[in-house]
Order: sequence, then structure tokens, then C-alpha cells
Amino acid sequence: MTTLAFSAITEADVAQVRQSHPGAFGSPLIRALKIGSWAVMIGYLLYSLHLFEFYKLLDSSERAWRLISRMFWWQDMGGWAYAQIYTGIAQTIAMAFLGTLLGTIFALGLAFLAARNTMPIGIIRHAVRRMLDVFRGIDGVVWGLVFVRAVGLGPLAGVLAIWVSDMGNLAKLYSEAIENIDRKQVEGVRATGADEARVIRYGYLPQILPVFLSLSLYSFESSTRSATILGLVGAGGVGMIIIERFRAGLFDQVAFVVLNILVVIAVIDFLSGKIRKRFIGERGH
Amino acid sequence: MALAATLPPFEPGQDPVALFEAHRARLRRDKLFVNLMLAGAFVVMLLWSIDVSRFWPDRLATGFPRIFEYFGSVMPQLSWELLFEGRNAEGRFPPGSIGFWYNDFWKYLRLIWETILMAITATLLATGLAVVLSLLAARNVTPHPAIGAAARRFLEFCRGVPEILFALTFVFAVGIGPLAGVLAIFIHATGALGKLFSEVVENASMRPVDGITAVGGTWAQRMRYGIIPQVLPNFTSYALWRFEINVRASAVVGFVGAGGIGQELNHVISFYSDDRVSAVLLLVVLTVTIIDLVSERLRHSLIGKESLK
Repeated sequence: MTTLAFSAITEADVAQVRQSHPGAFGSPLIRALKIGSWAVMIGYLLYSLHLFEFYKLLDSSERAWRLISRMFWWQDMGGWAYAQIYTGIAQTIAMAFLGTLLGTIFALGLAFLAARNTMPIGIIRHAVRRMLDVFRGIDGVVWGLVFVRAVGLGPLAGVLAIWVSDMGNLAKLYSEAIENIDRKQVEGVRATGADEARVIRYGYLPQILPVFLSLSLYSFESSTRSATILGLVGAGGVGMIIIERFRAGLFDQVAFVVLNILVVIAVIDFLSGKIRKRFIGERGH
Repeated sequence: MALAATLPPFEPGQDPVALFEAHRARLRRDKLFVNLMLAGAFVVMLLWSIDVSRFWPDRLATGFPRIFEYFGSVMPQLSWELLFEGRNAEGRFPPGSIGFWYNDFWKYLRLIWETILMAITATLLATGLAVVLSLLAARNVTPHPAIGAAARRFLEFCRGVPEILFALTFVFAVGIGPLAGVLAIFIHATGALGKLFSEVVENASMRPVDGITAVGGTWAQRMRYGIIPQVLPNFTSYALWRFEINVRASAVVGFVGAGGIGQELNHVISFYSDDRVSAVLLLVVLTVTIIDLVSERLRHSLIGKESLK
């Protein structure tokens, strides 16, 4: 076997290979497409940043600097209303918990109506799915604002908002889980002569319960995040404290509250990971 | 959980069946105990939540009818004979027609267009930054463990803070307008995408990287020719998925003055309770649903149906 030195390759060799194996060198069309799409992307970015007045970012250094320095330089920490802050955080967690629980309960029923294998009547299935699209398509904050208008300021509006948006999300995910179950187990149970209730208990439930539990736990975590910001529109919880302090220019307290929320969410992540591991095992779904 | 997972050692003369049964009974007892504890914690949590969020029956009883009242009042009053009626002699649409319901249609459409542009720009910027940060953060290819840890902390911070809080901050710093929203979504999406991307990179095969190391490639070349070709389909699909979320987000950041349809939505919901509310909400839902459908198609054509879980 001979080894070919780099220096031994001539232009003529390259040209010959190019002739015999045109595919190995990449087609000019693809290259043009690549360059073209990069150009379009960069052109779009420049255009849109111009449209959104990007230069304002560079103009605003003085205000931004004041904001950032206040966030890191905490003053009069003794005078902060800690009781109020922690009540707000507790309220946020409670809102997320109740909202997710109610959302889970209602999603359980809706999911069976929206899954293809449990709901053979197409009209009902599609009607339920479109309804779920509306629940999901509107963000939780918008629901919060709507419910504040409907039932007044306070955590009740927040619970309702989380309930509705979680119901939409969870019912969709649940119905996908129901559609994805393994038919073999169901048929196996049925083959032993089990009645319909036992088929559901031993054929369906063991397959979907762990997935449902895991989805609801994830949903609780994400609801805690969204419950934080529901207060910005007056729907109770710690968000009300954040926006109040922000409007008053107390950015150090805002930073403190946000830090606390990050810690709380990390703790919830950790705990729900533990619960998930206990009921589902390491492999997830 | 501290369950005794293994059988105790078998000693000669013991009845193996009895040993097994005793072990099984203990396992079941332990499991029952832990489950009861969890159930107790659940009930305590539930009662506490009801108390703290003041979710009491009397408040519910007064609140619930008002929800339906409100939704009844924001529904459009359409009448079939007038549905497609044009402008009348005074240049107004008659009440009951679609034209009356969507009197400000072109204004809404312009704002929705702005919302979508905000989402596209923020997604592009976030994807670019997240690719770089994820390569720095992924444990298997990070140039230095300290850089990796720093990048991971930074990404955690970015995705931990909700975008609407970033939006609030940027509105203060750069003024009311879509720029604040773009920046807020950009930062939050960078955090979320960076984490997903770095997980993809950590699962990539290291063999191409080793090959490029062997021929003397620098870190940048190892990433460009060893990692990027492997992860590009997944990256693209995650970026598209994030785009769907960013559309929803950019419809909301306007609530604090950061541009897009959210500003109009906030205004309409806060000041009116008539058909304008349902008009804007319906447009937002339609936009989000259409973008979801299109992007889902694209994602599924990029990678198989199962990969994105």
C-alpha cells in the first residue's frame, strides 16, 4: 500500500477527481442556498433591530446603570417588610398548588374525551380539543387579567387563571398519553376474562398513572413560576409585591424577592424530582 | 427512600419461604408507611393552600356567577341578517355585523405582525447565543470546568427569572416599546434553549471530536466539525419549539409596556368589558394556533415524531 504525500497531489489530480466524483465537493446550488439563507437571516435581524430601535439600548446607559446598581446595593435591610414578602410567596405557592390540583382533576375527565381511542365520536372529540386550544392559546397572565375583571383583585383570580391554563395544557398531554398506551397489556387483561372495570384498573391505569403524576408535578413547578407573575396584573401572590416595589423604585427589594422566588422554585424542583423518582423510577416516561 | 431492597442473607436451617414472606411483608409495610406520610402531607398542603389563598366556598359562590356574567358580556352580539353588512351612510358598521365587531381589525393585525416579528428576532438572537453558551456549558466539551460551571449558572439565572420581569426591567431601562420585549424574551429564551442544547451536546458522540483532536483541530474547529453537524437537527427543532413559546410570550410582555399585541390586550381588558375583548382574544388564539400547527409540521419533518418529548 502506498501513502500519498500531500505535496504529490497536483492541480490536475484534483481536477480529475472533481470530474469523476462531483458529489464529493458539494454542489454550488446548495452552497448558494446556504449563503443565501444566512444573508436573509442577518438581513432580517438588522432590519428588525432597526425597526425595534435598537440604538435605544446604547442611549439608556444612565437609567440602566442606576437600576443595576440599586439591584446589587441593598439599603436599609432592617426596614423591609419581610412578613409581607413571605406571605406573598406562601400565597403564590398555595395558588399554584390549588390551581394545578383543580386543573389536574378536570383534565382527567377532559383527556378521556379528547383521546382518539377512548372517544370514538369525532364531533365531541374535536369540540373538546378546540376548547382546550382556547384554554392553552391564551397565556396565564391574560387569564389572570380576565379573572381579575370578573371576580376582583386577589388570589382567587390567580387560582382560577392557573386552573384554566393548566387544565388546557394537562388535558392535551394526558390525552396524548392515553393515545400512546400499549394495547397489548389491555388485551392481555381482557383475554383473562376481566370485566370492563378491571380492564381499566389493570390494563389502562398502571400505564397512564405514572405519566399523569409526572406531568402534574411538572405542571406544579411551572405553575409556581407563572403564579409569581400573575400578581403583576393583580391576581394575588408575590407578583403584587414585586410590581409595587418596582413602581416605588425599590429595586433592591425587587432583587431580594426574585432571589427568594428562585430559591423556592429550586426547592420545589428538588422535592418533585424526589416524588417522581419514588413513583416512576429513574427512567421517566 | 430507605427501603430494605435486598433479602437478608440466607442461613442454613431457615425456611426460605418464611424468610421471603417476612421480607416481603416488611417491604409492603415500609411502602404503606411512606405512602401514608405522603398522603398526609398532601392533605395538609391542600388545607393550608385553601386557607392561604382564601379559596373559601362563600367567595367561590359569589365569584362563579360573575365569571359567566363577564364572559357573556364580552361575547359579540352578532345577528345573522346583518353579519356581512358594509358601512352605512355615516361610514359606520351597523351593530351586529362582523365589521362592527372588528372595527379596529387593521390596528390589531399590525400589532399581531409586530408580535410575531418580536418573537422571530428574539428567537434568532437567543438561538445564536444559546449555541455558544451550550458548547461552553456542556460537561463533555467545555473548554474549562470553571467556564462550564459559570455558563450553567448564567443559563439557570436567565431561565429562572420570568420574561415579564425582565420586560419590566427593560421597559424602565430603555423605555416603552417592542425593544424591551425583544430583549426580555431573548434573555429568557437563551436560558431555556441553552439548557436543552447543552443536554443534546452532552449526548452527542465524542468520536468525531476525538478524530478532529487527533489531526490537531482547535476547540472551535472541534465544535464546528465534530459537534455541530451531529446536533444541528435537534437544535433547529428545539429552536422552532421555542419560537412557538416566544410567540405566546411576546403577546404577554406588552402588559408591562414592552410592545406587541399585549399592550392593546391589557388596555382592552382593563378599560372595556364589551366585544372588543373577545375580538382581540380570538385573534391571539388564532395566531398562536396557526403558528403552532405550522411549526409542528416543520419540526416533525426535521426529526422523527418521537424525538421531541
